[in-house]
Amino acid sequence: MSELSPAVEVENLRKIYGNKAAVDGLSLTVPRGCFFGFLGPNGAGKTTTIKMLMGLAPPTSGTIRLLDLPMPESALEIKQLIGLVPDESLLFDHLTGGEFIEFVGRIYGLDRPVARERSTELMELFELADDGRKLISEYSKGMRKRVAMAAALIHRPQLYLMDEPFEGVDAVGARLMKDILIEQVRHGATIFLTSHVLEVVERLCDRVAIINDGKLVLAGSMAELREGSETLEDAFVRAVGIDRTAETLDWL
Amino acid sequence: MNQAGAILWAQWRTLRNSYPRAGVAWTAAIGAIWYGFWVVAAIAGARLVADPANVPLLKSSLSGAMLLLFLYWQVVPLMMAATGSSLEVRKLQVYPIAVFELFRIEVLLRVTAAVEMMLLLVGIAVGLLFNPALPKWSPLAILPYVLFNLFLAVGLRDLLLRAMARRRIREVIVILLVIGTALPQVLLTRGAPATGSRVRMLIAGDSWPGGPWAAMSSLAQAFHPLPSAAILLAWTLAAAWFGRWQFTRTLAFDAEAAGARDTGPTRRKGLLERFFTLPSVLLSDPLAALVEKELRSLVRSPRFRLVFLMGFTFGVMVFIVPLSIGRGRFFGGNYLTVVSVYSLLLLSEACFWNSFGFDRSAAQIYFLAPVPFSRILIAKNLSALFFIALEITAITAVCVITRMPLSVEKTIEAYAVTGVVTIFLLCAGNLLSIHQARGVNPNTQFRAKSAGRVQAMLVVIYPIAFIPIAMAYLARVVFETDWAFFGVLAFDATVGLIVYNIALQSAVEAAARLKETMIAALSSNEGPIAS
Repeated sequence: MSELSPAVEVENLRKIYGNKAAVDGLSLTVPRGCFFGFLGPNGAGKTTTIKMLMGLAPPTSGTIRLLDLPMPESALEIKQLIGLVPDESLLFDHLTGGEFIEFVGRIYGLDRPVARERSTELMELFELADDGRKLISEYSKGMRKRVAMAAALIHRPQLYLMDEPFEGVDAVGARLMKDILIEQVRHGATIFLTSHVLEVVERLCDRVAIINDGKLVLAGSMAELREGSETLEDAFVRAVGIDRTAETLDWL
Repeated sequence: MNQAGAILWAQWRTLRNSYPRAGVAWTAAIGAIWYGFWVVAAIAGARLVADPANVPLLKSSLSGAMLLLFLYWQVVPLMMAATGSSLEVRKLQVYPIAVFELFRIEVLLRVTAAVEMMLLLVGIAVGLLFNPALPKWSPLAILPYVLFNLFLAVGLRDLLLRAMARRRIREVIVILLVIGTALPQVLLTRGAPATGSRVRMLIAGDSWPGGPWAAMSSLAQAFHPLPSAAILLAWTLAAAWFGRWQFTRTLAFDAEAAGARDTGPTRRKGLLERFFTLPSVLLSDPLAALVEKELRSLVRSPRFRLVFLMGFTFGVMVFIVPLSIGRGRFFGGNYLTVVSVYSLLLLSEACFWNSFGFDRSAAQIYFLAPVPFSRILIAKNLSALFFIALEITAITAVCVITRMPLSVEKTIEAYAVTGVVTIFLLCAGNLLSIHQARGVNPNTQFRAKSAGRVQAMLVVIYPIAFIPIAMAYLARVVFETDWAFFGVLAFDATVGLIVYNIALQSAVEAAARLKETMIAALSSNEGPIAS
């Protein structure tokens, strides 16, 4: 495995549902050690892209390489090296948070005592220990995101794929999560996240890509995107071409 | 082993964390009755097989028994649309778990699809062990036969699941499947005499020694042990290859893409759209809007479509057997009613036993909307009635086309009997939907429960609902007039409506009291294994 190779390399990726291209010819490169934000309006193809990266949806065409390994040919090896914060419906609702983290640790090949110990520590770190006896089904949305992120950390992955990790998380929880992620990047990990919260992306990410209607419309470093004094929000609106006036409906 | 162990451990914790919960006693009682029956059958089988005097009987019948067991194992779960526990592949796919590891667990989980057959096989194995006329190793013949069935069950289930996830062809597959399953029975009873005798020979195991059931039977009785073992091994290996192939294809399958519909700006409003808006013609809002929503949701649920289709295809076919062999006059005179009631049983789960489970995300809106909760239950019940009436109409049409015995009086009787049973079932359904609310994935065709548990539930619940109907039939026999029959039915319907009203009020009060528990139950999902 070459240390210089990108963490994520996507070439001409397409995903067709029925007669609609959810992702249409996407090419993308994410260098190692980068905090990468993948943005786009609702239905732009962000979740479909991340599902293809995670191996949950096979691409219609195109190639994916993660950590210099081809997906899906080396799926098993890749999955050992990455940490996922997937859609929260992939959590097991009738487990407690601690049990879920321990389960994920064991799936990644940790011995049971190690998985249990790390699970306890992660529950503490993510301030979930007080709710240790609660089932995930009883968790709030923010707590579900926190437990998903804690589980993603348990095997110290080199690459994190995160789908809307801050959705529904309160300010304190978000701050905690951001600090942990920054620390991971500092230690050489790469983070690929999708988010609707542009302020968060603006503060955290080195590089950003914007997708609209399945096509990449803008990619570059944060500085390039802002073009001087422009905010990320301005760049985003300009890139996706939203030209909606403040018209209101007559009856509203 | 670590990963398999972790999955099983997580499932064990999931089950432990979920209990005790409401309904556990009920589930245990149903399980005890159903599996108790099969334990008794296994003990009887063991005694029969253990007796050396029965060796000639084994020679002539064991192969046929194994074939019937094979059919039950492979076909009944599909027919009851309940294929037992299976891995939640969608959730586990994100983790680095080897395909072989997942396959191994999935194979073991196929036991849950036919626990009854495992009990019988254990009984037969014990019988073989204690039969002094047979070699001590003869029970070992059971093992490859069990593996053969497990592997085949994985393959068939996965093949069918993928086929049914594809738009347009899934309904065709269901029809082909149900007709194909009922075909041997039809041939047996309605086909030419030669066809019937061939099917009987197949069941008796005399016609083809190359079948896995015949090879297992021969091996267990030490007839040509080496060729029999080779045949059985070959079948087992072929089933293992098929199961693994299908399972691997399922892992790589993109159900979302397969089920995606073409979206164009000019989708025309067809007959279906008119069908959906029918309630607005007859009812006023908000009831009309609620019924319309129910119609749309149910029609779009693969599970509902499956059972609806089964009602007028499999239902019509399966009752041809008792009709044709003329077991008494009951089936001959009440064919349409019997099929209608059977289809009602099939529809019951989707229509009223768990009426919030199929649109669980809407449950919160029901509590927030400025509409009395009783209206919501009534809307759900009206849509159930609508579909039940539509199902009986479809069955009647199929009966007319296939020239089944039918008359205007019998058609009216079928509607009346099914209608009265429905009223009583709705009373129980409304209460159960509140007290036993649980989320159901509307996109799955097959239940994770084993077919046996479903059958057992029908055995326990329905006799109570059928008492009023039994009274009507009794009145007809005693007074020898249809007036008495319809008179009692009318009385039953009146009593049913009074009970319905009381049950509805009780359900509404329970919903107000239990709404938090209900919403939590509806929003939670499964562990690594859907059970």
